[in-house]
Amino acid sequence: MPTLSPEKILKELAELWVSEAKQGQDETATGVLRACTMTLVVVAEQTDDPQELGETLAALMPEHPARAIVIRLSGPGERALAERVYQQCWMPFGQRRQICCEQVEITSSDDALSDLPSVVLPLTVADLPVILWCRSARLFAMPEFTPLAALADKVVINSAAVADAPAVVARMLAAVDRGLVLGDLAWTRLTRWRNMLAQIFENRENLARLADVRRVNVTHTGEASNTSALFMGCWVRDAIGGNAQLSFAPGAWNTGSLPSPVLAVRLSGEGIDVELRREDDRMIVTVNGLSQCTNLPLATPYLLMREELGIVRRDPVFERTLASAARLQYPNGR
Amino acid sequence: MPNENPFQDPLRFERQVPECIVVIFGANGDLTRRKLIPALYRLAFDRRLSAGFAVVGISRTVVSDDQFRERMKEAVQKFSEDTQFDEGVWSAFASGLFYVAGDIGDPGLYSNLAARVKEIQEKRKTGGNVLFYLSTQPSQYAPAALGLGAAGLGKGSGWRRLVVEKPFGRNLETARELSDQLHQVFQERDVYRIDHYLGKETVQNILAFRFGNGIFEPLWNRRYVNHVQITAAESIGVEGRGAYYEEAGALADMIQNHLLQVMATIAMEPSASFRADSVRDERSKLLRSVRHMSNDEIRLNSVPGQYGPARIGGQEVPGYRQEPGVKPDSQTDTYAAVALCVENWRWAGVPFYLRSGKRLPKRVTEIAIQFNPAPLAIFDKNDGELSPNLLIVRIQPDEGISLKFLSKRPGSGMNLRPVSMDFNYGSSFGERSPSAYETLLLDAIIGDATLYTRQDMVEASWNVVEPIQNVWRETKFEFPNYAAGTWGPAAADEMLARRGHIWRKP
Repeated sequence: MPTLSPEKILKELAELWVSEAKQGQDETATGVLRACTMTLVVVAEQTDDPQELGETLAALMPEHPARAIVIRLSGPGERALAERVYQQCWMPFGQRRQICCEQVEITSSDDALSDLPSVVLPLTVADLPVILWCRSARLFAMPEFTPLAALADKVVINSAAVADAPAVVARMLAAVDRGLVLGDLAWTRLTRWRNMLAQIFENRENLARLADVRRVNVTHTGEASNTSALFMGCWVRDAIGGNAQLSFAPGAWNTGSLPSPVLAVRLSGEGIDVELRREDDRMIVTVNGLSQCTNLPLATPYLLMREELGIVRRDPVFERTLASAARLQYPNGR
Repeated sequence: MPNENPFQDPLRFERQVPECIVVIFGANGDLTRRKLIPALYRLAFDRRLSAGFAVVGISRTVVSDDQFRERMKEAVQKFSEDTQFDEGVWSAFASGLFYVAGDIGDPGLYSNLAARVKEIQEKRKTGGNVLFYLSTQPSQYAPAALGLGAAGLGKGSGWRRLVVEKPFGRNLETARELSDQLHQVFQERDVYRIDHYLGKETVQNILAFRFGNGIFEPLWNRRYVNHVQITAAESIGVEGRGAYYEEAGALADMIQNHLLQVMATIAMEPSASFRADSVRDERSKLLRSVRHMSNDEIRLNSVPGQYGPARIGGQEVPGYRQEPGVKPDSQTDTYAAVALCVENWRWAGVPFYLRSGKRLPKRVTEIAIQFNPAPLAIFDKNDGELSPNLLIVRIQPDEGISLKFLSKRPGSGMNLRPVSMDFNYGSSFGERSPSAYETLLLDAIIGDATLYTRQDMVEASWNVVEPIQNVWRETKFEFPNYAAGTWGPAAADEMLARRGHIWRKP
């Protein structure tokens, strides 16, 4: 059975730095700068577009330099592990010195998943946080996820990738209840929306009318409500105080690019009518008839992870919203 | 009605910005076009401004709102270096741009402005909050503030704040006079004296570096620090601003405000909290601790300079006296270097060297903290003295922090060589840093005065600089005394040499 030696990987990593430094001395005499703020463990399916993932990691590195350990799940088959070690380097604009981060890629069959924690643990960088970005919805549902998650200071998933929204909400809540520090990109997608809504209620007149909101409506893509829409509705209703009627409605996404899970959110009642509506890469904010347009780029995995990697601790607002979403899905408990 | 906004999420949201009107006096000026409007547009682009945010531009030229919007659009397209122009964002932003024409000395301007502010306030629900920004000639600061007061614009249903650009007076007396006039309308807590150096990311990072880490502060005192050099060098000359510069000079234009504020940030005691007044109290205390020098001491510890003509990179460069608007026998300092001492327990005996000049070899602003050598040289005794430990805080360009120390050269024998450990702000964090004006405008709108200068800080700075100005004014200097493209007059080198120090060449 093919196996992996963490010692060998660490040695290869060290050799990479030596050879990179020598190369730098030979050609430019400026050397390389090693930067590291965390260990980022990424679990992705073999079918997950490697180019897209590589580009996302490359984009994240300048802001969150990390030792990246990318675990590729090859699916069912013989118990097998394989690795390769390389560097991600870039030359900052106007600079002479390149910045490099290490990357280790491990391929694992489903049968070898239980071996992963023992390989990953020695590869983590000492004294720095470990973030597990689980891009595989399949792994999140498997028992092997728990020991891998236990190595991390924070786990980031994307619940939007799971078709069964109620089930994934329940699973996430169970993980949080076990003590896991969890981030969900379906929640991260809402930050701009939530920030804009909060901004509206910084106005004292609007804040004074908040208690008059009677209806909260969330328009989402797809026929069934997705986790982002669910979180948005629950977060708004919880903030108001639970008196408003919460409803969800499907809407149409006309742009050909990545769909936005939430298309609009509207809070209405006597004397107050607030709507946030996405149009292409802009958000139209309308407060009692007065509209404003702001830039709202579609949330790419890079933008979402960039935000999540900046928060390595519990997110109490998310955890409250998650519990609220679970109650909405399972009013009588599960 | 709830007191707190229940939608707030401080973990993820940026600081919330209240709705307001920004009234800019000098709306056709360079600062408005190059810095203020591009900074406000960037804030709108980043969704940092409230829905009803509005700007009222004031200047003498008669133009319509639409013409003003068109001019500002051109300014944003031309001067927003790292922000893409988005028509949708611009049209929403531009719908909040208005213009009022008038002369600052004319009371009619303020009644027109009051009517316009009222109209915009009702239409855009700005909550009565108004930020007045004086981007005018300094002589117009007081008339503008008093005009606002007479028209009742200094008070309203929301907050009223006043932002004033440097210079804050020409000396201690005029600085006090100006403050007294501003205080007839605005309380000191509502006066925001802007020093854009303090808005720079690295200057703010000095506070994080010093007070967010436990390892540096124990070294931050006379026992370990040998001396500190603060340099603000410009490679350009006065660039057509000769007439203005004749009245200012490097000492008043750079050291009195920017460099003394940077020095205060480097040398201040830890503040009890990060509240505006706590931080400003400590900065002010430090500035008040700068030793007052006698006239003889000033002659030994300050050097003015003026650049002469030179050939740089194959190009003839005029001397200062050959610049347009400059008197042929001008005594204005285009270079100033001073050696200051801080009289407190932490810094007693540690010289702080400040220098600023035009037409120096390169544009660089940095702080260099030189540490004492190891107490005993057990290797080659020259190693430590020739290459002292240095902590360099680079403010511009390439913001970052470097630590220089000695390391063993690979191979047999104990040969040491200096190495530099660099933290580069731009490459360690790829995120775009906000411009100083974005930071400072947002702070003023939010009501955070931490990075603004208070009256007592301005007065303390003038207390340091004015005696030097007086001595220089009484002396006739043999100008020019440095060639364009060099690191300043020889007398500045001699000033350091007397203490056994040399200027760094950044």
